[in-house]
Amino acid sequence: MSRFSRFILSLAFAGAATSAVAFENFKGIGRPATPAEIKAWDIDVRPDFKGLPKGSGSVSQGEVIFEEKCASCHGTFGESNEVFTPLVGGTTKDDIKTGHVRALATGDLPQRTTFTKVATISTIFDYIQRAMPWTAPKSLKPDEIYGILAYLLNLSEIVPSDFVLSDKNIADIQKMMPNRNGMTTNHGMWPGAPASKGGIGNGGKPDVQAKACMKNCKTEVRIGSILPDYARNAHGNLEDQNRNFGPVRGVKTGESLAAAPKNSAELELATISGCMACHGINNKIVGPGYNEVQLRYKDQTDAEDRLSRKVREGGQGAWGSIPMPANEHVKEADAKTLVRWILSGAK
Amino acid sequence: MGNPMKIRAASKDGITEVKVLISHEMETGQRKDSAGAIVPAWFIKELTAKHNDKVVLSSEFGSSVSKNPYLAFKFKGGAKGDKVSVSWTDNKGDSRTDEATIA
Repeated sequence: MSRFSRFILSLAFAGAATSAVAFENFKGIGRPATPAEIKAWDIDVRPDFKGLPKGSGSVSQGEVIFEEKCASCHGTFGESNEVFTPLVGGTTKDDIKTGHVRALATGDLPQRTTFTKVATISTIFDYIQRAMPWTAPKSLKPDEIYGILAYLLNLSEIVPSDFVLSDKNIADIQKMMPNRNGMTTNHGMWPGAPASKGGIGNGGKPDVQAKACMKNCKTEVRIGSILPDYARNAHGNLEDQNRNFGPVRGVKTGESLAAAPKNSAELELATISGCMACHGINNKIVGPGYNEVQLRYKDQTDAEDRLSRKVREGGQGAWGSIPMPANEHVKEADAKTLVRWILSGAK
Repeated sequence: MGNPMKIRAASKDGITEVKVLISHEMETGQRKDSAGAIVPAWFIKELTAKHNDKVVLSSEFGSSVSKNPYLAFKFKGGAKGDKVSVSWTDNKGDSRTDEATIA
């Protein structure tokens, strides 16, 4: 979190609690948030259903809304894997009883779905309210969200098709969520104090140790596998088929297919210096081609000095509005070499 | 008797679109379980869809179709309130028919 947004947040919290005190420290900056602003911002629905709006919706109402607003991405049955991962599927009647999705442990699932993972129904409510539909978030009314949620619960075979979900019975549905017991908080990813201090996390302790192993160390590097001789040349020269930068190189096997003529030393220099990304030898890429540069400056005696300075300092205007960035990594002598090379025809 | 299918049918401008989510294991017979034994094949062989009593879709399924397959198709005709029924038979001789009303 950036310092700026932390500052904004502290303002918002301060505004909710004790507005006068906080503004002592920030004289002349901002103003306390109004109750209406806080109400518009404070939309979260918590696992204990704090913040849950009143309302209700039936499965059949939800089906109509889902078909209209949700099905194009999620599929009529919440089964679609095309735009997002599926919402529904992978849960069984037994999971609803135990509160653990068995398929997560056995690995039978081809694809995890929302209902195999989520432990609290309030999270789904909150998410739909906050972020859905993708194109018009926060546009759904509470009754519509209850309806959609009832429809999803029906698709997951948690509630019957004549069910009406409301703020009164949502807590009972929480007791039927397939993965309700699947959430663990005793790990470093969960923020807050450890359980011994009244929190629910483990105090941010990571579950990796990063301890150097100093026993039974190997004394020499032993190569575990090599390319057998008969396979060495099966696919041409492997060196040609791998990038010539980065940690992995191809081993040279056989003759190079592209026995290209060796590039001039200057062209190599231009390539490593990054010039060739924007300039072609005979064509414009982002900046002008070297043939154009040569044509314009060939009769000017001071061109070599001016241009080599420009290579290192950058410039704009001579060739249009796109600026040439400064290239301070290019040594002065190298810049001179390159400019001389360009002005002599860049071969 | 397998688990029920989910069927939605909607008619618009004389064309009815039917979407079906079938609940079936669709085991290919080529997988092995953790003990190394082959999991026996178990898949839908035939699937038929009817509009009232007229067959509008008749298909042969095989082991290459996914678990819990999704099927969507359109046919000409069909009015609000008509019945659409879908039935399948699998290689173990099990079968199932489910029905929906066109919306």
